[in-house]
Amino acid sequence: MVKGCKSMKAWVPITSGLLAGFLAATISFGNFSSRTENKTVSGSTKSDAEKVYVPFGKQDEYYLFASGGHSGQMFIYGVPSMRHIRTVPVFSPDSATGYGFDEHSKKMMGDYTWGDLHHPAFSETNGDYDGKYMFATDVGNSRAAVMDLKTFTVKDIINVPNTSGPHCAAFVTENTEYLFLPTRFSVPLGSKYEPLDDYSKKYRGVMSAVTFDEKNTKLNIEYQVALPPWSYDLSDAGKKVSADWAVMTTYNTEEATTNLEINASQADRDYIVLFNWKELAKMVKDGQYEEIDGQKMIFPEKHKGGIYLVPVAKSPHGVDVTPDGKYFIASGKLAPALTVFSFEKAFKAIEHKEFAGDRNGIPILKYESVMEREVNPENALGPLHTQFDDQGMAYTTMFISSEVVKWDPKTGKTLDRVPVQYSPGHSVSAEGDTVSPDGKWLVALNKIAKDSYLSVGPSHPESMQLIDISGKMKVIQSVPVNPEPHYAQMIKADKIKTIEVYEKDEKNQNAIYKQEQAKIVRNGNKVDVYGIAMRSKFIFDVKSKRPDVIEVNEGDEVTIHLTNIDFDEDITHGFAINSYNLNIEVQPGQTNTVKFKADKAGTFPIYCTNFCSALHQEMTGYFLVKPKQ
Amino acid sequence: MNVRNKDLSSTSSIIIVVSAILLVVSIFFPWWKMIFFAPQYPEGLNIIVYPYKLEGEIDIVNGLNHYIGMANFSEKTFPELTYLPYIVSGYAFLTIITAILRKKLFLYGLICLYVLGGALGVWDLRKALRQFGMNLSPTAPIKIEPFIPPIIGENTVANFVTNSVLGLGAYLLIVAFILLLIPLWKDRKTK
Repeated sequence: MVKGCKSMKAWVPITSGLLAGFLAATISFGNFSSRTENKTVSGSTKSDAEKVYVPFGKQDEYYLFASGGHSGQMFIYGVPSMRHIRTVPVFSPDSATGYGFDEHSKKMMGDYTWGDLHHPAFSETNGDYDGKYMFATDVGNSRAAVMDLKTFTVKDIINVPNTSGPHCAAFVTENTEYLFLPTRFSVPLGSKYEPLDDYSKKYRGVMSAVTFDEKNTKLNIEYQVALPPWSYDLSDAGKKVSADWAVMTTYNTEEATTNLEINASQADRDYIVLFNWKELAKMVKDGQYEEIDGQKMIFPEKHKGGIYLVPVAKSPHGVDVTPDGKYFIASGKLAPALTVFSFEKAFKAIEHKEFAGDRNGIPILKYESVMEREVNPENALGPLHTQFDDQGMAYTTMFISSEVVKWDPKTGKTLDRVPVQYSPGHSVSAEGDTVSPDGKWLVALNKIAKDSYLSVGPSHPESMQLIDISGKMKVIQSVPVNPEPHYAQMIKADKIKTIEVYEKDEKNQNAIYKQEQAKIVRNGNKVDVYGIAMRSKFIFDVKSKRPDVIEVNEGDEVTIHLTNIDFDEDITHGFAINSYNLNIEVQPGQTNTVKFKADKAGTFPIYCTNFCSALHQEMTGYFLVKPKQ
Repeated sequence: MNVRNKDLSSTSSIIIVVSAILLVVSIFFPWWKMIFFAPQYPEGLNIIVYPYKLEGEIDIVNGLNHYIGMANFSEKTFPELTYLPYIVSGYAFLTIITAILRKKLFLYGLICLYVLGGALGVWDLRKALRQFGMNLSPTAPIKIEPFIPPIIGENTVANFVTNSVLGLGAYLLIVAFILLLIPLWKDRKTK
């Protein structure tokens, strides 16, 4: 007994020692789960899969706005997950959102049914994205559009006269004073008929200076510049010291009119157009322009000043201003080398009038007096477009050698390179063309996907590849994308402030917010419907025996104003009439209008097209058209 | 018999004044809340009841309630909201009077009034909940057993779990009532 007692006593310190040990261990290691959660997405200890994995309940760090090319749309992606979030129609109709069917978008679209959305550009404040608006241009039908980022919907589209295919756009000046639209194709003023033999004399590459009236969300053309009949490819606005200036690349300064592949590749050098937009604005103010079809047109050969030419290796594509605004980088797209040009040197040369003659009345600066350095990454071919990181390092896409090259604009030294699959056009880094790039993520917008994804037949998707640039560049994700992103913009997600429901607008004559106000007003052959959509019914005429029925006579002009009175997140209703080829969307709280002629007699069911509730299937009505007697 | 024993001490008087202030303050805070959670509404929908107004996602809750045939409610369906602040102010006035007169008898009367008012309030709320929960439209698309939502606690209807809870205003009322009880103990008769 005594012995047993003793041994029991000996256990006590051992046990308590072990317990203390466990306790210490729990305190030190027990809570590691919450610590790992706090790590940022780009934490370097994560595997590639972990870097791109954004679990449910968390959201991406960046929005990627990728141009949709000849789809006429804008594709919205999340970075780093590379998940496709939304397709926003801009220049093409879209039945999914009723875009091009409702009155507002139908009017904006005019008679066009497609567009070629090339280069998106955010509105800027002090050279940084402010997250308020997105501008886009249509190379297919010469238009420009503005999208409100509160709703991700297009608010205005303008047609740009005298010009054809604003490929070289859009670029926005430091405080969104102007959105410049230089053109890809030169045409005679007014796109009039002129024989191609008169190309050099009668054709012009007109650039438009577009202003954005934020209060009325309207785009306007302030003035135009009748540049020489060349092709204008890409452009960038200056920053900081070069804020009043802009640069754009040209090709076909040969002024070839056929077989451009050969004939526009003859001269050793084309030009960068360097212009001071403040000076141009002043010239317009001083009346130095001619009125052409209602546009104020500057003719550089007559209205001198503000525009200069800088020789560059032939057929350049991108021209990009460094974040500090001191340099611009350009290169011939068939050449191996890139050139860093100095704004400061250019300003000095302009000041001292060191010109090497002129073209079409525009002074030419000497290449040597503007060039800062030439950069020649070994075996790299086809430099197209450059983005920047937070250290000011440059990332250039090489179309022909199919890679992204990182290099230092200050020394010209190649720092890193990574192959991409295949043939990148542009790339975009996080806020990579602003005065303060974030130095995170680079997305290569590849033109060729080949066998990257499951085959869908001969027509392949394009491919976007996410590159982690926090250390040595590495491709960590590839995603297929619809044709065809030409350029993209990547913005920090918290800069964009969206709304979830439209506020009541008591001033809107077309809106009704109470069921009791739903009515059908008949005036001769005009039928105006003030209706309501709500979970899960339509009410067009509250006093009718069947409030969800619209009855008209054949030939009536029908206008339906529909208000979604579900002021609730993500409760969007659709409105379609069978066989009448129309479908619109009403977002929560929104009032939308559709106009059409009841030109088909008969019975046509109405239904909600956007799944809204458990009884969505019951959200129907009838459109009855009485035949003419 | 000591006459002073029928009077309240000055400390008690101050406590009663505080009680009156809390009563008035409670008007500006929610008295009662219902929070609705559903898989589609993880953030919750609220009905927040102040003595003089309703707040929260009333229209959305009404919109959803129509599926089970529950009548719409609004500030108009609760006339109480128009006079409740005056009743509370009246109580506060009587409380102040009690603090000034410092008579125990008045305090006893006041406490009785509080109990009566509280009971009436609970009865009124239960009546309203019964009214809405038991009179479901027979043509509702989703047929459910009529029910009485609890004044406090959890209830499940279809995909919604409803939590009924007291608001800060109600807690202020409770504190105000407890403050009235303190003088009873503090100024109790001692031998």
